[in-house]
Amino acid sequence: MSSIYLHIPYCDTKCCYCDFYSIENHDSKNIFIKSLIKEISTSAKIYSDKEVVETIFFGGGTPSLLEPNELELILNSLYNNFTISDSSEVTLEANPGTVNLEKLKAYRSLGINRLSFGVQSFNNDELIFLSRIHTGDEARDAIKLARKAGFDNLNIDLMFSLPNQTIEKLKFTLNEAFSFSTEHISAYSLIVEPNTPLFKLVQNKIVSPLPVDDDAKLYNFILDQMSLNGFEQYEVSNFCKPGYHSRHNSNYWNHTNYLGFGPSAHSFWKNNFENAKRWSNHRNITKYCDDLENNISPISMEEFLTKKDLSTEFLFLGLRSSGIDLNKMNNIYDKNISIEQKEKIQNYIQKNYIELNNNFIHLTKKGYMVCDSIIEQLL
Amino acid sequence: MKEIRNFCIIAHIDHGKSTLADRLLEYTGTITERDLVVNQVLDDMELEQERGITIKLHAIKMYYNAKDGNKYSLNLIDTPGHVDFSYEVSRSLAACEGAILVVDATQGIEAQTISNLYLAIESGLEIIPVLNKIDLPSAATMIDRVTSEIVNLIGCSPDDIIKASAKTGIGINEILEAVVKYIPPPKGDTNKPLRALVFDSVFDSYRGSVAYVRVVDGKLTEKSKIKFFHKGTVAIVDEVGNLFMKRQRTGELLAGDVGYVIAGLKDVHDTKVGDTITLNEDGATTPLPGYKEVKPMVFSGLYPSNSDNFAELRDSLEKLSLNDSSLVYETETSTALGFGFRCGFLGLLHMEIIQERLEREYNQNLITTVPNVELHVYKTNSEKLIIDNPADMPVAGMIEKIEEPYIKAQIITPTEYIGNIMTLCNERRGIWKNTHYFDPTRADVTYEFPLSEIIFDFYDKLKSLTRGYASLDYEFIDYRESDLVKLDILLNGEQVDALSTIVHRDKSFEVGKKLCSKLKDLIHRQMFDIAIQSAIGSKVISRTSISAMRKNVIAKCYGGDISRKRKLLDKQKEGKKRMKQVGRVELPQEAFLAVLSIGD
Repeated sequence: MSSIYLHIPYCDTKCCYCDFYSIENHDSKNIFIKSLIKEISTSAKIYSDKEVVETIFFGGGTPSLLEPNELELILNSLYNNFTISDSSEVTLEANPGTVNLEKLKAYRSLGINRLSFGVQSFNNDELIFLSRIHTGDEARDAIKLARKAGFDNLNIDLMFSLPNQTIEKLKFTLNEAFSFSTEHISAYSLIVEPNTPLFKLVQNKIVSPLPVDDDAKLYNFILDQMSLNGFEQYEVSNFCKPGYHSRHNSNYWNHTNYLGFGPSAHSFWKNNFENAKRWSNHRNITKYCDDLENNISPISMEEFLTKKDLSTEFLFLGLRSSGIDLNKMNNIYDKNISIEQKEKIQNYIQKNYIELNNNFIHLTKKGYMVCDSIIEQLL
Repeated sequence: MKEIRNFCIIAHIDHGKSTLADRLLEYTGTITERDLVVNQVLDDMELEQERGITIKLHAIKMYYNAKDGNKYSLNLIDTPGHVDFSYEVSRSLAACEGAILVVDATQGIEAQTISNLYLAIESGLEIIPVLNKIDLPSAATMIDRVTSEIVNLIGCSPDDIIKASAKTGIGINEILEAVVKYIPPPKGDTNKPLRALVFDSVFDSYRGSVAYVRVVDGKLTEKSKIKFFHKGTVAIVDEVGNLFMKRQRTGELLAGDVGYVIAGLKDVHDTKVGDTITLNEDGATTPLPGYKEVKPMVFSGLYPSNSDNFAELRDSLEKLSLNDSSLVYETETSTALGFGFRCGFLGLLHMEIIQERLEREYNQNLITTVPNVELHVYKTNSEKLIIDNPADMPVAGMIEKIEEPYIKAQIITPTEYIGNIMTLCNERRGIWKNTHYFDPTRADVTYEFPLSEIIFDFYDKLKSLTRGYASLDYEFIDYRESDLVKLDILLNGEQVDALSTIVHRDKSFEVGKKLCSKLKDLIHRQMFDIAIQSAIGSKVISRTSISAMRKNVIAKCYGGDISRKRKLLDKQKEGKKRMKQVGRVELPQEAFLAVLSIGD
């Protein structure tokens, strides 16, 4: 069982906060698709016979800028080169400002069975600040059209902790989101990343980030509202109706193998616990395409993980998401929880940060709030 | 001896001392330009290059073929430039007959230069004034002003001042000629009994202590049995020689010469700066003047961040002290910090240097406690205690009186800043003694201070109040009674001994309040509330609190980029290493020095 990620690096306009690799010039699109297909078939020679692919995820950039015929080329290449499970989850990230019914119908008929809409907010002033290309109404329309096109598994991405954001504003966005009864909601806080326009705005004191205590209030509000509206939290930022967790994202967090195709895409492959690595491709469309054209590997970073790295990852990925099976940690990762760690965990259980069930520990709502502190203490 | 010239360079930081030294080495063929790739040969410790302060002295010999047809030996002796090391400077100057005064033509003469210049003039050194950086465009408008400053200061004629650019090489030949022409050759008598001044010493892991000396009388030869006058050490000379880029063995050093001595001595404490070397038998009857036993003035605790690293820190201190005879240390324990060392330093800069060297060269993660002076505490049972650690202070009821060290400070300043300086000095419990005007623009103000008031940040404050123009020199005078109290800090009700300080009673309330609020800024929010209190004895004088952190999680979309999250965690862990767990509370290193920055 494994996963495949495809990075589609094109955007109409780059958002001020985004530090994912994307470009506004679309001239290279045809060459890119050709390169991507070449990367898929080359990689398949090494990996395709090993595991069945369970999830496929088109991320970006803005994958919904792909025309259905372009998407078809890529999907065909995947299906021709890899063994894809019949029950696979195939997600495509979509910007509400780039879709119409016809396009969505075509996507659905190509086998896309999950859409993830980058809505971010239903407040138009916040959407303008975030330099999104769509309005709240366009987001509402897109979600309705997706239902009409036959999508029964939808995610909405939201952002919180925007400068000056109040509980009231967040409440409005959340209630709008709940009104569509989507199966999944992701809520990410606005992080000011270096090398983004937002970073400059903050540096020049044109924008001031939300004070930490307000950020805490908003996050706490989200956690409360999610559970009130029937959403389970299964990761710091991810919430779903029962049974609708993102299988693709969950695979990132439970050490399932995944291959990433396209510029800046990340991969993880572990043959066994003594032989595991992570790697990623160049964050540059020209370099990526040229390398593939010249039969050179487009990989820019590669790191081999020791057993210790793996067990560290197991711990923090598990705590950030749905929890850790302590037996599995002992048996598979050879990492016995030390007495000191046990004491700490006991203390966290007492104080209601962690819940323990049959040797399985997971964070409570209170625990998710200070997840990084807990991980730091337990590492 | 007629062909020897011993001299040093006096300059303010950044006025070009190191560049000029390099240029002299290059023009005399002592090094090639290629050797200069790593710039500025005299400052070889990484730290010195960064601070621009020559911390350890060095000396180097050059041969120069002068225009008069003679070949001269020039010994350039380097000097440190900070008040903590004024004794070392004085011993270096005592080894010279002349000094090159380097002034930046674009800046004018500055404070530090003046006190060293006066030391040089007092030592009877011939001064060669040099106006440096004249190639810079901004020099043009300043040259006349700076020239007259120099003329007023040393009473030379404007024509005596050499215009130079160490960077481009302008004036370097003139400087070399002036050294030969104006600096007198050393006096001294080869036939008299040996007297050699130790002006520096360094530790060599193979040879032990290497003393840098200036032979004043007699000769220093290998195999002779020598005696260090003050230390009393007797040893057989293994090797003597000159100091070029490397040591060069000569077998003997004659009166007037500068060089090194190796005599199988295992550390630099045997070869103290300022000591006189003579022969053990038929030696001189009197030592050279000016020796002082250098005593540490400032004390602080050094602790490993991680208590497991105590032995490692002890080894590092041991190694460092082989090279630094003024560093004093002994073990101590703190309830909050565990095992560590109480260290004595010459001053605050010296303390910072030791701390940085331990961290950089020896890879130690340190917690430094607030520096303090040594107090004399008289108990009601008439017992006298010497206290160099606030934690050792007896309870107030058992104290009859406390005495603290006082110093006499000399501040040389342009007259326009006298008002500012007096305000600062009054804040620091200064006692005005007198003001002496050199001329209408420059004065010498003398104050007496408790040493504790000037070790923290007095020098920096003085500098900023006078735009860098004032210079400070001080000397210990005596111990005097003061109304001092111990100020404690409590975290969640627990006293943290390493945060205790001694303050004057009149200031205790203000310091306590500021210290609490500074700690509030420095201590990170943790998963529980933290109460911070300051107290004198059992009386709490101020309190504040840090509320528990409400959220600590980066709710970001990492996608498949797990490496990035892992690296972030590694960074977080690295930051944690610099924290000290005291009870349940994690304290950053800076918290232990909070009292130093409460004035900001």
